[in-house]
Amino acid sequence: MACLSFEYGKQVVIILKNVDATVKRETLYIAAAVGVMSMLMQAIFMIVRHWDYTVLLGNVLSAAAAVGNFFLMGITVQKALNKDEKQASASMKLSQQLRLLMMLIVAALGAALECFNIIAVIIPLFFPRIAIALRPLLDGRKGK
Amino acid sequence: MLELAIGIILGCCALGAGTAMIAGIGPGIGEGNAVAKACEAIGRQPESRGSVTTTMLMGCAVAETTGLYALVIAILLIFVAPGYLVNILMRTIG
Repeated sequence: MACLSFEYGKQVVIILKNVDATVKRETLYIAAAVGVMSMLMQAIFMIVRHWDYTVLLGNVLSAAAAVGNFFLMGITVQKALNKDEKQASASMKLSQQLRLLMMLIVAALGAALECFNIIAVIIPLFFPRIAIALRPLLDGRKGK
Repeated sequence: MLELAIGIILGCCALGAGTAMIAGIGPGIGEGNAVAKACEAIGRQPESRGSVTTTMLMGCAVAETTGLYALVIAILLIFVAPGYLVNILMRTIG
């Protein structure tokens, strides 16, 4: 069992070492944007006087899941680009279903356990989408 | 009678959650098609790999949000809606 987990760990390290620079850059951008938006959300909860530790825990769980989901998608895309079209399409479909299942488990945990605030779990799942929507604005500012 | 009403509420919430998750299939098909076309594009112009990967990553993340909407609706229907609906039922009965 220990040998198996060691082999698995070794494979994970190899995958992490071979991550494409584009995937790293985009994941960093998404992580930074999710961090900033999480802080904003915490501030809003404090302003409306609904903040407690469950909000923080829910936010941390959900933000980690959102960034992890994006990173896993990046790794899948990077691997899929080296395959032929049919294999790439199939592996992407499988990956999407598995990642959706992962998000379902995270959201279900957030909803079922008392130590997580359900609103603070659900909102950060959409932060990467907001970050992508804001991207053209940031790129435009850099271009100027 | 009350048990039946609660059972109908729970059953309808579960059915709604299951139906909502049908939307989770779409992003998978869309992402698969996008990646297949990206492979084709990179095969034709290998030098455009970086820009194609960036655009596709963003596109896949946008497509995936549709599945997340469905997921959130399903979670709310399973964990939040039954409690509210049963409360409303209890208040109505008195």
